[in-house]
Amino acid sequence: MTFNQTVTLVDTLARFHLKGESRQYFFGYLWWVLEPLLYVGVFYLVFEILLDSRQPDFLYFLMVGKLSFIWFSKSVNQAASSLEANKGLMAQTHLRKELFPLAVIHQGFYRQLVVFIFLICFLLMGGYLPSAAWLWLIPITLLQAMLITACGLLGALLVSFKRDFRLLIQLGMVFLLFMSGIFWDLNVIADTRLREGLLVLNPLANLIDCYRQVLMLGEAPNGMRLAWVLGESLLLLIIVWAAYSRLQFWIARQVVTR
Amino acid sequence: MTALLSLTDVSMHFSREADSRYAVFGGINLTVSAGECVALVGRNGSGKSTLLRVMAKIFAPTSGSVSWAPGVAVSLLTLGLGFRQDLSGRDNAFLSCLLMGLSRKEAKEALSDIEAFCELGQFFDEPVNKYSAGMRARLGFGTALMNRSQVVLIDETLSVGDAFFREKARIALEQEFNEHRAVVLVSHAEQQVERLCDRAILLEQGEITAEGHPGAVLAAYADLTAN
Repeated sequence: MTFNQTVTLVDTLARFHLKGESRQYFFGYLWWVLEPLLYVGVFYLVFEILLDSRQPDFLYFLMVGKLSFIWFSKSVNQAASSLEANKGLMAQTHLRKELFPLAVIHQGFYRQLVVFIFLICFLLMGGYLPSAAWLWLIPITLLQAMLITACGLLGALLVSFKRDFRLLIQLGMVFLLFMSGIFWDLNVIADTRLREGLLVLNPLANLIDCYRQVLMLGEAPNGMRLAWVLGESLLLLIIVWAAYSRLQFWIARQVVTR
Repeated sequence: MTALLSLTDVSMHFSREADSRYAVFGGINLTVSAGECVALVGRNGSGKSTLLRVMAKIFAPTSGSVSWAPGVAVSLLTLGLGFRQDLSGRDNAFLSCLLMGLSRKEAKEALSDIEAFCELGQFFDEPVNKYSAGMRARLGFGTALMNRSQVVLIDETLSVGDAFFREKARIALEQEFNEHRAVVLVSHAEQQVERLCDRAILLEQGEITAEGHPGAVLAAYADLTAN
């Protein structure tokens, strides 16, 4: 299969999945926005209303963090299960195995584009004025897509090895939810070294902080921080890609004969 | 005749538990040449489907070697490859063509042929979950015919739909056979094997126990099942 055919196949698998999925629900494509909004609503109720957060503009702060986090957690979780979910297809035809997690990740990307448009409209209605710094949204989004791709491919590989990894990945997402500054500001950590260490070890927290800097403060993000995320994502992507190249038959056997 | 596919001393083991392995087959030597139609017969569990998957590059053998002639595409002819119940027949046919390795342009062009062959009328644009089993089989078969591989591996997929469609499917499939392509067919239908195949192979307990003229191999298979 040529590169063009592979891209066409991944894109078609993603679009057809979204199309089929939307037909299953009464609200169809509206769920792309409804689902993350409901998440934000629950967090807002708990942290702003019940616990009375002191964070200024907490709703917007929460939305930027939570909507980016949902993109990451949902895509990685679904990608991790994608090889298992396509075991029937894998038993019938010879395809590169990374196609399946990539198609799932691509679906998430389409969905997130709509979510980001919705988020920007919401910020504009809230009085946040667009500035040149908002253009940074493009590289930050692409970096997050790269991080999701690397983590999603790794997750799928681990789950094809042992199903237990699916549970560990789900637990890991809960851990990340608390460690990525979704409903608290990472900048409140007084110890600079600790804060910087956390940002290096958790590229998602780094990206979420960059999104807020761009969208809420209208400032360009720190280039070094983005370079860190790029380096980490790229390194993981190269390692995982090499693993897939070596393990194509092993994955088929693991998944199909399980 | 040009050899398109060769298996040399191929064996396959699967793990049952963490430390227990069982042999599906072993010591398989087989060559498939252009223009040939080879039948694989044998009882359930004899390893026929796994052997097809090794030929189709889905599984790597545990030992031995499989070689494909340069540039030769091999694929398992599958009814309803990648079909999703919530998509229309047209979308499913398009997706299935891409999965078989067709380009976007080729897949789009194939749609009119598939639509004409399946005779589904307006149902072609309806979700597949509204189809009867026969309609699904017709769509699956019509789409599978778009497979352009030189070596086509068929696993019990010829008996689909009603008598009229089965005959149409048989004729369509026979038209696909030519001197440049080869077919490996797993079937329990004796008449089909005798009519279509030049050679048959009997797989029993993971080994080739008979090989040659379809009539003779089917007779050996009949003896085996009678005992």
